[in-house]
Amino acid sequence: RGLAAGPEMHFGFQTVTEAERREKIYQVFESVAKKYDVMNDSMTLGIHRVWKDILVHKMNPSPGTLLLDVAGGTGDIAFRFINYVRSVRERQLQRKLRHHQNLSWQEIAESYQEDKSKSLGGSQVVVCDINKEMLKVGKEKAQNLGYTEGLSWVLGNAEELPFDDDKFDVYTIAFGIRNVTRIDLALQEAYRVLKPGGRFLCLEFSHVSNPLLSSLYDLYSFQVIPVLGEVIAGDWKSYQYLVESIRRFPPQEELKAMIEDAGFLKVDYQNLNLGIVAIHSGFKL
Amino acid sequence: GAAMLRGGTAVLRRAASGGGHGQGSAQPLEPSLLRFLVCPLSKRPLRYEEATNELINEELGIAYPIIDGIPNMIPEAARTTQKKPPAEGSKEP
Repeated sequence: RGLAAGPEMHFGFQTVTEAERREKIYQVFESVAKKYDVMNDSMTLGIHRVWKDILVHKMNPSPGTLLLDVAGGTGDIAFRFINYVRSVRERQLQRKLRHHQNLSWQEIAESYQEDKSKSLGGSQVVVCDINKEMLKVGKEKAQNLGYTEGLSWVLGNAEELPFDDDKFDVYTIAFGIRNVTRIDLALQEAYRVLKPGGRFLCLEFSHVSNPLLSSLYDLYSFQVIPVLGEVIAGDWKSYQYLVESIRRFPPQEELKAMIEDAGFLKVDYQNLNLGIVAIHSGFKL
Repeated sequence: GAAMLRGGTAVLRRAASGGGHGQGSAQPLEPSLLRFLVCPLSKRPLRYEEATNELINEELGIAYPIIDGIPNMIPEAARTTQKKPPAEGSKEP
């Protein structure tokens, strides 16, 4: 198996060919899809929710924004985006209503019809993921939670996006870029599909430089997480891969350089929890 | 907390009639998606074929399936289409 032709790549700490890596990663997410959310909560003690909230707040989308959420399988970012623009829209409408206090009901009703009648103000999010199982989970979640408007699902490859040029206002990839085999291609595609002026946002595990925290983090990662994986999801190996893939992923400055190589400008990053997680941002200008 | 997943299995059914919201078992493509979707290989526009519920790239002669309302835009999943005679349907430039 190890004699297949092709460049050698890492799958966690193993060395594999590119084709093997894609296959193994697909299998990891196929295996964990149904327990994905539970595992996220257990492994991060619920903190992943805060990280994702911070990402969307940083995005600060206004109603009418078109978001492409890549590797967004189970919909966490998409749902937060919808909630955010919905509340912004509500506040907008309330403000309008207050200013119309001296008008008749007829006039007020008319002013409502002038705006986009939908509560999202024309905002839309497309969730793109390479894994069928993850998308299935996401779509079911959306139905159960009542998200119907402004949300679509596409099975696609971040390295080869099925979207036209210059289409989206924002591109997000949350805890997904680590699993992409050719990160450079994914970044190029991100640049291509964004409108001029559009923003790239990446939320991903990163590098902890503080030595004490780093030791504690290593201990937790290698001793606790795979055990949780086995106990909760019956899958030690997938979570072993997760932990290893985090260690293999480029640190903040290196990822920043890669994003700049793709053409993005004003590239910056923000560490969360001392670098356990980082949000990288760039613009297509 | 964990989302409660209903054990419903999605039934594969081709959409016989277009339009409407795809909440039932027949799941047509979300119409707004056609604004954005192109062939991942050529980045060229696609034609939605209602009869087979596929997105067709006429130039390359490939069709991407739509399953449970989700278009599968992975090139490996696409099937090659037979070249149809010009009499069938209009060709758009």
